[in-house]
Amino acid sequence: MLLSFVQWLQFTGFFTALRGSAYAYPIVMSLHMVGIALFGGMVMLTDLRLLGWSMRKHSIADVVNQFRVPKRWGLLLTVTCGFLMFGSKAEEYYYNAFFRTKLILLTLVLVQELVFYRSVYADPAALDRAPAIPVNAKLAAALSLLLWTSIACCGRGIGYIEPPLDKIHAQMLPHSGYEGEIALCFSSRPTP
Amino acid sequence: MFIENPLNSSALAFPVLECFHIVGFALSIGTIAIVDFSLLGVGMRRQTPAQLAKDTWLWTLGGLILMLFSGLLLFSSDPDMYYLNWPFLIKMVFFIAAVIFHYTIHRKTVSTDTPPPNGKLVACVSLVLWCGVIFGGIFIGFVYPGLGIGGV
Repeated sequence: MLLSFVQWLQFTGFFTALRGSAYAYPIVMSLHMVGIALFGGMVMLTDLRLLGWSMRKHSIADVVNQFRVPKRWGLLLTVTCGFLMFGSKAEEYYYNAFFRTKLILLTLVLVQELVFYRSVYADPAALDRAPAIPVNAKLAAALSLLLWTSIACCGRGIGYIEPPLDKIHAQMLPHSGYEGEIALCFSSRPTP
Repeated sequence: MFIENPLNSSALAFPVLECFHIVGFALSIGTIAIVDFSLLGVGMRRQTPAQLAKDTWLWTLGGLILMLFSGLLLFSSDPDMYYLNWPFLIKMVFFIAAVIFHYTIHRKTVSTDTPPPNGKLVACVSLVLWCGVIFGGIFIGFVYPGLGIGGV
């Protein structure tokens, strides 16, 4: 079902046009990178602050709270462009091992956020009141850095795999015995 | 006699270097953008652009060095191809302009706690230059020597 969805998606008029356009596709990819610079930069600085390695002159609450909304805008740009790239080659992505890994890692980021939400992200001012940065917060930051870096690397990896769609399609044909007849139909088609 | 570039004997070297390149530009351009958006009055509003610049300059420099050295190694894998690739040449023009701008006019703008009246213009120029670097980098892969974008 998922497979038929991705096949339908990539052959919609919009994604067919995007796939075929010489300029739109690389522009979308560039904007994906701009999003990564904006979002990734803020994620790294926030995590480095939680680890106690950067922006130590400002409170954790100041850094975490002020980056919250801009980070969402950066993520929105990155995800939107990412979805546009996925949609134009959806079936290839469906079989792409790096894309699958990337989705798993994105799910893990969500889990990380939920696990540490209450102890770290919901009340960053409490981290400032603690005598030292709590281990929980440092762990959350380290995991976030590791996960987001891996996600970016998997994204780069997607372009290095090209699932052999023609072979996959050939294997998926039902072996009903009609293949020969179908081939004959096509070969004996009258030329216009 | 030609000496084989050891980078080209491993299939993993190029993609791994690209990952370092991505982390480097996210760190450097990301931190510069934080200061630029602050100059524009967006994002970190409880700190002045000057404070933010003081907090982030070392990370910016670290990211730039990572990006530059991974980039030089990537370039060394096939210098002729890059030399003939027009987006690469445009990227280099943007990159050199962006670095010079960053360490001269941009630095002066964020050196005082109250940014000069042209602060917003400086922020826009900085953002445009760095975006140019990113766009140039992506388009490198979409141009084939002797052909236009996308091989058409």
